Formats: sequence, structure tokens, C-alpha cells
Amino acid sequence: MMAVVTLDVTSSGLEQSAAAIISVGKADFTVAQKGASDTLSSTIDESQLVQLRETRGVESVVGVLVETQRINANNPVFIEIGINPGDLTAFGVKLVAGHAYSSTAAHQVMLGWRAAANLGLHVGDRFNANGTWNTVVGLYSTGNAFGDAGAMFPLPAIQGYNRVPGIVTLAFVKVVPGQSVAKVAAHIDYAEPELTTIRTATQFGRADQNLVYLQAAVNGSTVLAILIGAVIIGNTMLLSLFERTREFGLLRAVGWTRRRTVGLLLGESLLLAFIGAGLGVALSFVVAVVLENLPALKGVLHPNFTEEAFWRALFTALVMTLVGALYPTTRAALLSPLKALSYE
Amino acid sequence: MSDAPDEMAIEVTGATRNYPGHVTALAGVDLSVGYGEMVAVTGPSGCGKSTLLHLLAAIDFPTAGTVVVAGRDLARLGDLSAYRRQEVGLVFQFHNLLPQLSALLNVELPMLGTHRSAHQRRDRARELLAAVDLEDCERRLPTELSGGERQRVAIARALANDPKILLADEPTGSLDSTSTARFLELLERLSQAGTTIVMVTHDSEVAAHAHRIIEMRDGRVVDERIAYVPAPTAASVSS
Repeated sequence: MMAVVTLDVTSSGLEQSAAAIISVGKADFTVAQKGASDTLSSTIDESQLVQLRETRGVESVVGVLVETQRINANNPVFIEIGINPGDLTAFGVKLVAGHAYSSTAAHQVMLGWRAAANLGLHVGDRFNANGTWNTVVGLYSTGNAFGDAGAMFPLPAIQGYNRVPGIVTLAFVKVVPGQSVAKVAAHIDYAEPELTTIRTATQFGRADQNLVYLQAAVNGSTVLAILIGAVIIGNTMLLSLFERTREFGLLRAVGWTRRRTVGLLLGESLLLAFIGAGLGVALSFVVAVVLENLPALKGVLHPNFTEEAFWRALFTALVMTLVGALYPTTRAALLSPLKALSYE
Repeated sequence: MSDAPDEMAIEVTGATRNYPGHVTALAGVDLSVGYGEMVAVTGPSGCGKSTLLHLLAAIDFPTAGTVVVAGRDLARLGDLSAYRRQEVGLVFQFHNLLPQLSALLNVELPMLGTHRSAHQRRDRARELLAAVDLEDCERRLPTELSGGERQRVAIARALANDPKILLADEPTGSLDSTSTARFLELLERLSQAGTTIVMVTHDSEVAAHAHRIIEMRDGRVVDERIAYVPAPTAASVSS
């Protein structure tokens, strides 16, 4: 149960982190490369942005290149966003200090206010990124924790650092007011088969195969946990039934119905299963926090403890118990009182 | 239950019980017991006394023959649990108390699933423990009770739902003489109140307190004699 919940909350956290990228730009939807192994591996040629802009109903398209870099032990995965200064407003970026970089400026960077606070940097300070010293010319806010914990560079600079000229990772699309977002997105999906549109976090798998595989692994491990758990519960119940055969025989002899006798056995098993599930959830919390703070995973893994994960754990425990209880309870129901009473 | 005056409380006809391996526990037993009658079944070990009791308690069934209780064939009863719970009380030879439950909870067991509330069940269990002089032992576990005390808890449990028929397998086997005398007084009171009692015993003194003694040997009834004629009660005189 602990393993299932830990996998569940960490994969959900990864999904949430990945999905946070699409909500940075305050766009109506995001466009990414279809079937990319993960979001940051998505590649869109800037020429395709031109086609997107020409699509009927599209108001604006902002292309951004998203890369990650290790800054230090506390920031092993630092987000860098390459974006043209002319697109900053459309992207929902607000300056909170200093000024924006110019499109041709070299070695200039804007830090998200969270990143600046984490790194202890201010406007005018120097910040080493991609092996180059850059001057912090401004601090920005996007209203999104993920975006505010990174840095923004002129798009050509980031493309140059990463040797991907003319390439962006994602395109953030705003639709003309009054136009149907769904229709415009569907049109792009049809017209640009290499690309895919993402409007909700649940659609993220279209551009992030790793998340799909991760979710499949979580589902698979849940099924496996149910099967293993059911075998263990069934075995425990069967042992309990053997040890208490005389007791069940007596209960039947004094007038307990089959249903009541089975209910007793099942009730005890469910109680144990739910206590186990509770302990599993508690332990998974501890394990997830430990994982979150491992140096290799710091900043990458943000376990997402939701009410849904808790209910899913209880549901898993319930299914596990019911599956495991099937054979022992059938045996208990079919016990002959006399045979059970003479059981040694 | 039928109240026909000529109907017997218990009517066993040609009851045979064979077990695998050519073991015959009962070989065509015929037995009739009237309402309010107290019958003692005696005989050597292995003669089929307990098997007969198990058939009457509906925890075992005859290979051939019929067991009719209050006009109903037990083999055709739809709800055996209700019969076991409400119509018969069974005192086992080896007590069969649940070791993890207190004396009070053991007595309450047959009342679970009846119309009685938790409060009523508790009151009734206390009343029964008091009737067998165990009012101070209600919280004790069976392991903390003597053999005689355990047997008395088992008797109290058998009486929990006011059964019309009380079946007892060697009920005084682990009782001292005082407890045995008190138990026999209790049986007599129950019998006078209309409870039909069938008791298996090796003790001829205990058997002598029954109205009738049935002797069994090799799965058959071999002798039957009147042991004790109860004094006429006020009710029987007036009728």
C-alpha cells in the first residue's frame, strides 16, 4: 500500500509540475510536438509558429524554448525560458523590478521573483547560467510558482546556448475573443499532424510520453499490489479460519446465520485492511518527503498529496480485501457446524 | 409451532446416521418426547447418545429416517439458523466457550441477530449468569473460570433465547455435587415451565431426576423406563 501511494503521489506531482508549464503563459492552449518523450524534448520549428499565427481564430502565438540547468545542489533542475521581449506581455509576464532585456542584448537575464529570492540575487547582480555570466536586468512575476522559480533569456540567446537555432519547445496560443477555443485547437490538431494541442493537464500525455508510461506503471503496480495484497489477505484469512474453525462452528451451532458468520470474518479483514491502508498512507508520506529531499531529486519531485490519493488507497484496500476474502469466506459459509466443532 | 394436543415435542423415527468408513452411529432410533418432559439418555461411550443430540440440534442430519420437532421435519426446514437460535438450546459436553470473550459476552452470543437490543441482551445475560450463581464472574474470561463455572456459563448460554427444547450433553460432568443439585433444580423448574429437556448423561443419579430414562447401545434404543413421576403442579390439578 505504501509503495502504491508513494508512486501515486509522486507521479501525480510530476504530472502537476509538467502541467504547470502550460499554465505559465496564460494562453488558451499550448501546442507541443506530438508524442514527444517528455515536454522539454518537444521541438517546434519557428516556421511552424508562422503557420499557427495564420490559423483562423488565432490572436497570438508565443514560442518559448524551455531548458533546464543545474545551478547548484539546492537547484539541480533550474528552469530557463527563452522568449522574445516583445512576447513578454502576451505571455503574462509582469516586471516587478528593473527592466526587460532587449531582443539583441547579450548576457542579460530576468529572474523570476522566487528564483531571485532563492538565489539571493537582485537587479544588477551577476548570475552564472550555461557557463556564462549574465547580468540580472529585471525581476518578473507570472503568477505561477513554476514560472516564477526560473529565469528568462532572449530566445536567440537560449537557442544559441543549447545549439538549437530556430527551435522552440512550446507555443502558447491565444484565441480571438468570441472564437471557440475547442474549434481552433481542433483545427490545429488537424492541420498540423506533427503537433498537438493541450488545453488541460489530463491532455498532457499527448506531448509527454514519459508521463503516460509513468501513469501506466502506477496503474500496473496498483493492479500488482491488489493481486499480491489479495493473496496475502486471503492467506491470512484462511489461516485465521483454520485456527478459528471451532469458533465458527460454535457460532453456527448457536444460531448465527451464514451471512453473519461471513460478515464477522469479512469485517475483521476489512478493519485490518483499512488500518494497513492508513499506515501505508502515513508511511508513503514519510517516504515521499525523503525522496523529495534526496539531492538527486531535489526540485524535480514534488509529491502531490491529494484527497483523491487517500480515497484511492482505501479503495485499493477494499478491492484487495474483497478479492482476497472470496475463497476464505466461501469456505466459512459452507462450514458444517458439527464438523467445525470437531475440528482439531 | 402447532399446539395440537396429541403432537409430541420431539418425534424421531427410524433415525440412522452413518459416517464414512462404514461407521454407524445410529441404527434406526425411534423416540418420542412430550412437551415439558425431561428425558435422560444413557449408555456406554460411542453408543450414539451425542449423535442423537446433534440431530435434535440440527447441527447434523440423519442418513435415513426423520427428526420432527414441534411438527416440523428438520431436514425440510428452510431456516436452520433460526431454529438453532430460537427453538433449541444446546449445552456441549466440553463447554465450547469462546476463549477471547468474557462470560457475559459468551452468554450474549446466541442473542446476536435477535430482536433484542444491546441493552436487553446485556440484561438477559446478567440475569442468566445470576441464575447459575455466576453474577460475580461476568467479566472473567473462560480461562479464568473453573471447569464447573465454565459449564454453568455454557448452560446460561443455552438458555439465552428461552428455548422450547434444551439439549444437554453430559451437563454435570464437570460440576461439583452442590452445583449439580442446583443445576437439576434449574432443569426441574424449566421442565415445569414447559421446556422439553433431553439430557445425555453417564451419571445414574442425575438420570434419576429425569421423567424418563432412555438407554442406548450400539446406536439403538434398548431400554426405556419411567424414572421419576413429578408431583402434580397446581396447573395440572386444576385442569
